[in-house]
Amino acid sequence: MYRLMFKQFFRSNVVILCLLLVSVLGMTGILIGKQFLDRQERATEQVTIYQQEHIERNVSFHQEEFGLLMYYLKFALINKPEKMAGLSIGQSDVNPAIQHVTIRNLEGQKYDTDLVNPSSLQSGNLDLGFVIIYLLPLLIIVFTFNLLSEEKEVGTWQLVSIQSRSKLKYLLAKLSVRVLVILALFVLLLTAAKLILGIPFDAALFAFFLLGFCYIIFWFTVCFLVVVFQKNSSLNALTMLSLWLVLAILLPAGINSYVSNRYPVPEALATMIEQRDGYHKKWDSDKRETMADFYAHYPQFEEYGMPVDDEEEFTWLWYYAMQQMGDDEAREESDAMREKLELRGQVSRSIAWAIPTMHVQLAFNKLAGTGSTSHLEFLDKTNEFHEKLRLYFYPKIFDNALVLEENWEKFKPEFIVKENVVEWFRLLLPVIICSGLLLFLTFLKLSLSKQKGEW
Amino acid sequence: MRKETVLLIARHFWMNTFKTRAIYPLMTIIFGLLCFSAYTGWTNYEKQSEIRSHYQHEARESWESNPDKHPHRMAHFGTFAFRQKYPLSMFDSGIESFTGNAVFLEAHKQNSVNFSEASLSTGLLRFGEFSMAMILQTVFPLIIFFLGFSAVSADRENGTLKIILTQGARWKEILMGKTLGLMALALLCLAPVGLLMLYFLIAEGGDVEGLWPRFFVLGLVYGMFFMLLSMVTIAVSTSSGKSKNALIKLLAIWLLLVVLLPRSSQALGSYFFPSPSKVEFQSVIEEEVIQKGDSHNPNDPFFKQLKDSVLNAHQVSSVEELPFNYGGFVMAQGEKNSSIIYNNHLNELMQIYKKQNSISELTAVINPYMAVKNLSMALSGTDFDAYVDFQDQAEKYRYELAQKMNELQMEYISPAKVSGSDGKSHVVGKENWSEMPDFHHRFFSFGKAVKNELLSLISLVLWCLAAVWYISYLSKKAKSV
Repeated sequence: MYRLMFKQFFRSNVVILCLLLVSVLGMTGILIGKQFLDRQERATEQVTIYQQEHIERNVSFHQEEFGLLMYYLKFALINKPEKMAGLSIGQSDVNPAIQHVTIRNLEGQKYDTDLVNPSSLQSGNLDLGFVIIYLLPLLIIVFTFNLLSEEKEVGTWQLVSIQSRSKLKYLLAKLSVRVLVILALFVLLLTAAKLILGIPFDAALFAFFLLGFCYIIFWFTVCFLVVVFQKNSSLNALTMLSLWLVLAILLPAGINSYVSNRYPVPEALATMIEQRDGYHKKWDSDKRETMADFYAHYPQFEEYGMPVDDEEEFTWLWYYAMQQMGDDEAREESDAMREKLELRGQVSRSIAWAIPTMHVQLAFNKLAGTGSTSHLEFLDKTNEFHEKLRLYFYPKIFDNALVLEENWEKFKPEFIVKENVVEWFRLLLPVIICSGLLLFLTFLKLSLSKQKGEW
Repeated sequence: MRKETVLLIARHFWMNTFKTRAIYPLMTIIFGLLCFSAYTGWTNYEKQSEIRSHYQHEARESWESNPDKHPHRMAHFGTFAFRQKYPLSMFDSGIESFTGNAVFLEAHKQNSVNFSEASLSTGLLRFGEFSMAMILQTVFPLIIFFLGFSAVSADRENGTLKIILTQGARWKEILMGKTLGLMALALLCLAPVGLLMLYFLIAEGGDVEGLWPRFFVLGLVYGMFFMLLSMVTIAVSTSSGKSKNALIKLLAIWLLLVVLLPRSSQALGSYFFPSPSKVEFQSVIEEEVIQKGDSHNPNDPFFKQLKDSVLNAHQVSSVEELPFNYGGFVMAQGEKNSSIIYNNHLNELMQIYKKQNSISELTAVINPYMAVKNLSMALSGTDFDAYVDFQDQAEKYRYELAQKMNELQMEYISPAKVSGSDGKSHVVGKENWSEMPDFHHRFFSFGKAVKNELLSLISLVLWCLAAVWYISYLSKKAKSV
């Protein structure tokens, strides 16, 4: 019986064609993920070579003044993507993975974007995550919209109702064939991705698998609910596709536009202006005031003393104190911006609880370390990195230490350390609850139909 | 072909549609969606425009409030360019959310355009963006398919078709009538969008360059698109044996043309034409600048030679004796060299991006959805070219600003002050700051926008003609059973 069901299922050309199409797109998605990872890998190598050459050249030019040298020197901090990032590229095409900063004012540097083609960003990445979130549901729709209606339209349903012990069991058996095929496709694609991208087998990958699994089951429950209403094939197809349109495009897009309208981020532009004015205007203000503010921030450097009067000539101590003021005066706006972005994330995440497509997208990004939260973390790490560099170099600049005595070899690009803890409940619960709810509705509808004698 | 018969059939189709109950909730939902997208588009436009002009003002005030100082300090003080939103962007936001909005303009350094909406987003933006254009481009085709998929096939299934034909109606008249009926329905849905936009534009747009021609052509493009969709629907309905098959075919067309093809073609573009990473881009420029002449290298041969020839020409032995400030002269030269090199590479990069986009732009020939999408973005002033234009304007302004400050330095700063720009002795009067005009973002011209999207426009027209031809071809072949 089961074997016959499989046979019957695979006899349709449409089924084969659709499976083939989605497999090809899935493989394309994996290759695009691979290309993304390779690109990041290459950028990491380039920045390593570049940093070494850059330091060597500038050290040879500016040996007399440590302060002048540090004006030029750039140091890289790299947010190396996990292999998982190839599965769900998420925000990591918009947000740069490499911060390349001098020890000058950080607020003017850390929001610099990568070079990206905005048109490609708009059409979005075709990664495996996209294939799972968007295309697998479509495949499920194609496989199930005529699960029952076709039998009715061709006239075999009568036969089934007489011959089989339970119509529901028959229908479920038919459904399970489709579930198995889709799951097999999913597992196949994920395995291919694991091998091609070289993803280690860890909790994150397992979580990705489980979440994808639950998501597929969710769509089957959606479609099954539509099926038990026993409408004709056309109406089923239309209903399912409309549900897909609402869940996969309209709701997320609508919510995004709600969130970005409700919480605009003017702080970003304010930060930009503040950091400039904070630093540049110090060239004309009282030197002693600037120094006092600087020592208030870093009491440990007070020993370097105050300028005698405002007319004293240029010193690097004063210069970096001015630069520091750019950051200090933009701090408030910068923190406000960070809070706003955090808030945007929180609001989106809490709304996503009720909408599996959104939840899965955000969760995939989180597992792959490509979400907005991981970028905010990277920005925080950039702050720490920058502060560390400053505190290391400040005394050398202020003492005008010998440039050639420094071991420049040791300044290699640094990588941030990420800890990715999988929160199983938060990850899986929303999708499980939604599926459970739909299953409940399905059985409610079935028992209602039975009472009315329509089943 | 008799006009009366055609109109009769069209009217009949129209009345039939309004008899089905499903149309009312459908219309309500669509209207709700349109209102929501209009509202968000409008408020977003208002808020963003206000925020940007506010900060453009603030930045300018801050610039003008600078005291007397060395012009090179002002060159680094710099200013900002904020990208202004074109009023029609509330209709179609195009790639706006993915392009930066603000750039810091200073001497020697071309900064990136930062703070795109996408970089501030949580990742939901990837599901697509809500705008009136998005509703018209993706949801409306489905609605039209839904309203018309059974237009002919249902009549065939229940036998009415035979009756109409025996009563003397010709195939051509029937197909024409049905198409007209469906078109009228589709255009009826387009009307409220047009009115809403008209209201907003009169309230807000004012006399922005090219607004009305853009609006008019946009209306035309969507009108054509809807007519095309109606014709395709009727054609599929006529050529399919059963209504069910017609619907499935139409849905498949929608999936392929609206969802799969656009994303895959853009992905292919990026796959085949890889663009350089930022480090690569910058290091190549840096290297070239160094080869050409590094003004930051005290022993650079290019600048050494330059110095010798300048000293020679003026018959003096040291730069302090020159009639102008030599530091300003060197910086003007350096700025010129590095800008040329930078712009060459930026152009190359933009060419790569254009190549990446070209695949999906070319699909406009086979995919009318793509043609409409491209045209809609271009006409709303939110496409790639409009963005590149902004980038160019900002860079041009940056260059002018830097050179103006170098001129001031050459002219007014004592030749004796060769290096350094701090202190209060070697300064230029603050009245010079307000003399430098502020950055003003000029919108991309209507003519250029149309010219760039000529391919899409032609392909859309051709598609319409082909559809008309196909329907008249079908009217000779169609069967009533």
